[in-house]
Amino acid sequence: MASETVLELREIEAGYGRAALVLRGLSVTVRQGEVVCLVGPNGAGKSTVLKVASGLLAPRSGTVQLSGADVTGRTPQALLGLGLAHVLQGHSVFREMTVEENIRLGGYTVRDPAVLRKRVAAVKEIFPVVGERWTSIAGLLSGGQQKQVEFARALMLEPKVVLLDEPSMGLDPKTTQTVFDQIDLMRQTGVAVLLVEQNARRALEMADVGCVLDLGRVHISGPARDLAADSRLGALYLGGAAAREAGEQSPAAGQADVR
Amino acid sequence: MRSGSRYGLLALGAALVIAYPWLAPNTYLLYAGVLTVMYAVLATSWNLLGGFTGYVSLGHSAFFGLGAYGTGLLVTKADWPWIPALLVSALVVAVFAGLVGVAAVRVRGASFVIVSIALVSMMNLLVQGWRSLTGGSTGLRVPTPFRELNRGESHLVFFYLFLVLLVLALLTWWVISRSRFGSGLKAIREDEDKAESLGVPTTAFKVVAYGLSALFVALAGGLYALWFRSLDPIFVFSILVGSYMVLMSLLGGVRHLFGPLLGALIVAPAGEYFLVALGESQIHLTATGVLLVLVVMFMPEGIIPAVAKLVRRFRPPEASIREETAEQRSKEAVA
Repeated sequence: MASETVLELREIEAGYGRAALVLRGLSVTVRQGEVVCLVGPNGAGKSTVLKVASGLLAPRSGTVQLSGADVTGRTPQALLGLGLAHVLQGHSVFREMTVEENIRLGGYTVRDPAVLRKRVAAVKEIFPVVGERWTSIAGLLSGGQQKQVEFARALMLEPKVVLLDEPSMGLDPKTTQTVFDQIDLMRQTGVAVLLVEQNARRALEMADVGCVLDLGRVHISGPARDLAADSRLGALYLGGAAAREAGEQSPAAGQADVR
Repeated sequence: MRSGSRYGLLALGAALVIAYPWLAPNTYLLYAGVLTVMYAVLATSWNLLGGFTGYVSLGHSAFFGLGAYGTGLLVTKADWPWIPALLVSALVVAVFAGLVGVAAVRVRGASFVIVSIALVSMMNLLVQGWRSLTGGSTGLRVPTPFRELNRGESHLVFFYLFLVLLVLALLTWWVISRSRFGSGLKAIREDEDKAESLGVPTTAFKVVAYGLSALFVALAGGLYALWFRSLDPIFVFSILVGSYMVLMSLLGGVRHLFGPLLGALIVAPAGEYFLVALGESQIHLTATGVLLVLVVMFMPEGIIPAVAKLVRRFRPPEASIREETAEQRSKEAVA
């Protein structure tokens, strides 16, 4: 049975100020318990997709749907309340605060102490390092540990979908592996993940669906493991022209929807 | 530091402070003690805003002056007993600060500093200009509530009154630092936009912190009026008093409960020493400026964190927790 569609971006056109469009008719669908990975060269518009989805950037046209409801143009706070969490690029923990304070801030809008306790216990189970370093100052943790604290904080409101922007940025290969494992654990809890990652091959090996972006559109899409082995992926990273040439030869290329 | 020795040190410090008026060899040193505790109240109260939210107000003396003049005027012009006069004027100042705060905390960083300086300058001009009510630049004389006491005994009473206020300000800081409200304020200090995106009502929290900070500063101002008996608008609304609050807090450490108190224990006696040793020259102001520059350059976090870091260097390192993958963990579990 097909999983429920959690997040759907349809025919999105978006850009910054009066500058040219960054996204040109992009569509992406993310289903429950699924990791969708967006890869592509610099400037392809990967992070812009996440900004539109999380309400940080209003699209010029197109719609954003969360669990079937149109949420286009809603604020990040409103979307957070509706079950969409965004983990920003780089380290976004509150560095001078303890791990405990960081995690509790994730559930700041939860008033019921019993619910809060339950959620804290749940994230400690998924991310053991959170419990182990509960009283530590977050800024003193390693890069990988800080990333896990960010993931745990994002899960405190039990989101339906988590947007992850370059979670492996600045991390060594071993720590990157840990971070990808934690994303896998999030997926196992039923959370949908929309992932933007420069470490394309490694991310596609872990994701369910891959979308290769170029010039603001989904250029190639399909099962992530197949994409990881696709020679066009390398061509796209080596040069846009080569990729476009390769894309023109593929009947699947240029189709906006993931499926 | 182990918690046992920390509590021991705290108890020793508290005992020394309580015994100070009886240990002070003369009235002048008792007077200097009252002044130091008053500055400790001011710095700790300032830290309710500055320490928690990172908003640096150089104009907090506006609330000190308003509290002082409010109490003084209610006692002299309306014949109110001193306790209601003190409490009512402080509450009015806190409400006023809240209203000002709604506009003031909309700006951040250097802009907020400038707004705070503008506020104290405006209050100074207002009080000096309204001669019929405040006495203008000639000041306001406030009768002492303890007429039967001599000067030394009056210092003793006000030493303990300021001490009670200091304990209340410290308790307030301590309670807030452990509360949900305090977490929200600290999140504002670190990244206001991120805090807002997590659902922290940033504007409301900043306004409450601003008002609460002003309340304690105004209470100190009211006690100052009753203790000193003479209000000079140039002093009570001076940016220097506001700068002392900032300097003391930065010197001790704004992230720590006792940081501003420690800063006051150093800066206030040092200021008095320079004044006595060097007369009415303005060298004590130069010394204050130099100290501020040294703190910002070499101890931006303050004395308490610097000492704590030093202590940590001589301790055995904490056992590090290794990072592991889920795969490793499941293998270990099976094994």
